[in-house]
Amino acid sequence: MADRLPCVVVVEDDKQIRRFVRSTLESEGCQVFEADAARRGLVEAATRKPDLVVLDLGLPDIDGLDFIRDLRSWSEVPIIVLSARSTEADKVTALDAGADDYLEKPFGVGELVARVRALLRRHARGADGSAQVAFGGVTVDLSRRSVLRDGEPVHLTALEYRLLSQLLANAGKVLTHRHLLREVWGPSFVESNHYVRIYVARLRQKLEADPAQPRHILTETGVGYRFQP
Amino acid sequence: MNSDGLPTAPLVGPDKPSLARYVVAALACAGTAAIALPLREHLDVANVVMLFLLTVLLVALRAGRGPAVLSAVLCVLLFDFLFVPPRFSFAVADVQYVITLGVMLAVALITAQLATRLHRQAALAARGEREMRSLYELARALAGAVSVEQVAAIALHFVEQAGGHSAALLLPDAGDALVVTNAGDAKETHVDTRLATLSYRKGELIAVKALDDDAGHAVSYVPLKAPMRVRGVLAVVAPRSGASQDAVGGLLTTFASLVGIAVERLHYVDVANEAQMAMNSERLRTSILSALSHDVRTPLTAIVGLADSLTLRKPPLPDDSRQAAEDIRDQAARLSGMVTNLLDMARLAAGRTQPRKEWQVLEEIAGAALQLLGRALANHRVTIDLPADLPLIEFDAVLIERVFCNLIENAAKYSPDGSTIKVEASVDDGFVHVRVVDEGPGFPAGREEAVFAPFVRGQLESSIAGAGLGLAISRSIVEAHGGTIRAINRPGGGAEVSFTLPLGSPPMIAEEPDHEPWVATRG
Repeated sequence: MADRLPCVVVVEDDKQIRRFVRSTLESEGCQVFEADAARRGLVEAATRKPDLVVLDLGLPDIDGLDFIRDLRSWSEVPIIVLSARSTEADKVTALDAGADDYLEKPFGVGELVARVRALLRRHARGADGSAQVAFGGVTVDLSRRSVLRDGEPVHLTALEYRLLSQLLANAGKVLTHRHLLREVWGPSFVESNHYVRIYVARLRQKLEADPAQPRHILTETGVGYRFQP
Repeated sequence: MNSDGLPTAPLVGPDKPSLARYVVAALACAGTAAIALPLREHLDVANVVMLFLLTVLLVALRAGRGPAVLSAVLCVLLFDFLFVPPRFSFAVADVQYVITLGVMLAVALITAQLATRLHRQAALAARGEREMRSLYELARALAGAVSVEQVAAIALHFVEQAGGHSAALLLPDAGDALVVTNAGDAKETHVDTRLATLSYRKGELIAVKALDDDAGHAVSYVPLKAPMRVRGVLAVVAPRSGASQDAVGGLLTTFASLVGIAVERLHYVDVANEAQMAMNSERLRTSILSALSHDVRTPLTAIVGLADSLTLRKPPLPDDSRQAAEDIRDQAARLSGMVTNLLDMARLAAGRTQPRKEWQVLEEIAGAALQLLGRALANHRVTIDLPADLPLIEFDAVLIERVFCNLIENAAKYSPDGSTIKVEASVDDGFVHVRVVDEGPGFPAGREEAVFAPFVRGQLESSIAGAGLGLAISRSIVEAHGGTIRAINRPGGGAEVSFTLPLGSPPMIAEEPDHEPWVATRG
C-alpha cells in the first residue's frame, strides 16, 4: 500500500453517483476505475486487480448478486455494495453472497470514506497478522488470548472470546447473524439468532463504556454486527 | 297414485284409466263379439274363446288394469250370451261350459294382471332411463355453468321441466344467511326462508304439506349437499295440493346434490380467482413501490453525495456557498426520509408487511436507533434506562428500530436544545411498556390521540420539519406486533409516548460450562 495508490473499481450505472464516488475516493488518495455495467465491471476487476470494489446492486445487465458470486469465485477483493433496496433480507443476501459491507442510498461522503478506509485497512493488513488489537481502552492479545480493559484482565468465556475474535478478525466488515453462528457456535446453530444477541450483549457489558450506546461492537439492525476499532 | 319421483306427471299410462279407456275396452269386447258372431258356424267354440282372450290381452296391454278386468268380465258374459247354448241367455246347458267360462274368466283376469304388470315395469324402466337422462343432462349443463346465476337458472329449468313444479334456489350470502338467488316462477311468498335456513343448517330435507288455507302449495326444502359442506337449499314448490310432497324422492336429493357440487365448484373457482387477483395486485404494488423507491433514491443519492462533497471541498468554498451546499444535502436527505416514510406507510397500510419476528434484546435496538439518528441528536442528551433483567422480546428488529427512531427524533424536534430525552421500560401484566419522555411543551391538549393519524402534527402549521407520518407508522408497526401506543402529557410537563409489546415465552439458552476463562494472567 505504501508504494502504490490503492486501486478501486466503481461499478455503478448512474453517472452522477459515479462521479461523486470517484471524486470522494480520489480525494482519499485512491486510483479509481469506473464501469457502468456489471460485465464491464468484471473485466475491470480482472485487469486492474483492485484493492476494493464499489458495486451498485441494481445494474442494468446482470443482477448485483450474480456479480458478487462471480467475482468471489476468483477474487478475495473487498466489496462495498451500494443499495437502494431497503429490505434487510436483500442486504443479508448480498453479504452472505460475499459482499463485505453495504451503504444504503442516499449516503454522505463521510459514511463512504469511513467504510472505504476500514476495508482498505483490513485488506492491506491481510498478511501482516498483528497479534495485538486495541480499541476504546481494551487491548486484546490474540497470540496469548488475553483481554485487558484499562489494564485490568477481563474474564471472557470460551464462546465470548471466539465471538470477539471473529469480530476483531473482520474489523469494518458487516458479519451476518448466520455467519457468526456458523463460525462461533457451529453449523447446527444457524437458526438460533438470539444466541448471538445475548452474547453480543454480554461482550458489550464487559468491554463497552456504555453498553446501551456501544462505540465499537455496532448493531446493523436486521443484518448482523460490525466491529469498529 | 302419483307415488314416486319427480317426473311422474307425464307417466299417466295404465295408472290413471279414464272413462274413455273403459269405453274402449267395452267396444273392443263388443267388436270381438261382432267379428266372431258371423263366423260362429265355421269356428270351434275353443277358438272363439281364444279370440276373446286375445282381446283381453290387448286391452290389458293398451288400457291398463281396470279396463282389462272389465273386458275380462264382459268377454266372459258375451261369450256365454252369444256362443254358449242356449244362446241369447246366460243360462248354461252343458256343465262343461261352466268350466270353460270359469277357466276363461280366470285366464282373462290373470292375463290382465300380467299384462298390466309388464306394462308397468316397462314404464318404470322407461322412467328410470328418463331420470338418468335428465340427471345426465343436468350434470352436463351444470358442468358448463360459469356463474351461480347460471347454475340457478339451469336448476330451475330442470325442476320445472321434470316435474312441472316450480322452484327457488337459496344460497348463503357473505354473512351465511340464505338469500333467494333465483326464484323463477315460484313466488317468494311460497318459500319460507326460516324453514330453508333450518334445512341448510341441519343438512336435512324438510317437506311441508299443503295446508288448506295456504292456496294448496306443498314446498320441499332440499339441502344442496356438496363434498365439503351444504352449499344452499333448493326449494321445490309443488303446483297443486294434489301433487303431494311425496314427489320428493331420491331423484330430487341426487338432483340437489348435483346442484350443490356445481355451486361448490364455482365457490372454489371464485376463491382461486380472488387469490390470483390479490397476488397480481400485490405483485403490481410491490413492483411500483420498489421502482418508485429506486427511481427516486438514485437522483437523491447523487444530490446528497455531490452536495456533501462540495462542503468538504479543498480548498473550502466561501462560507455562504458551503452553507448552501450543506442545506441542499440536508434537504435532500430529508426528502429521502419522507419518501421512505411514504413507502413504508403504503406497505403498512396495505396490511402486507408481516413483521419478521425474532427474539431480541431491547436495549440493543434502542441503542441502534440512537446510532442511526446520530447528528439529529447532537443537541440533546439521551439516556436509556432499561431493567437489567428484561427478558428477550419477540419483535421485528427493523420495524421496532423505526418506532424508536420516530419517537426519539420527534422528542428531539419538539423539545428545547440541551434538554434530556429518556427511554425507559418496565414489565407489567404480560407486556413490556416502553416510554420515550421529553422535556418539551408536550402535545396540544386534547390532540393526544389525533397525532397518530397520518399527516397530523402536534403543533399545527409549525415550522418544524416532518411529514407527520412518524407516529402513524409507529402505530401501525406496534399494532402489527399486538401492542398499543399512546401519547400523554406528563403531569410535571413534557410529552410521553409509550408503547407496549407482548412478552411471550423466550427460548431457553443453553449456557456454556464456564471453566475455561481467557484471562490476562494466563500464560
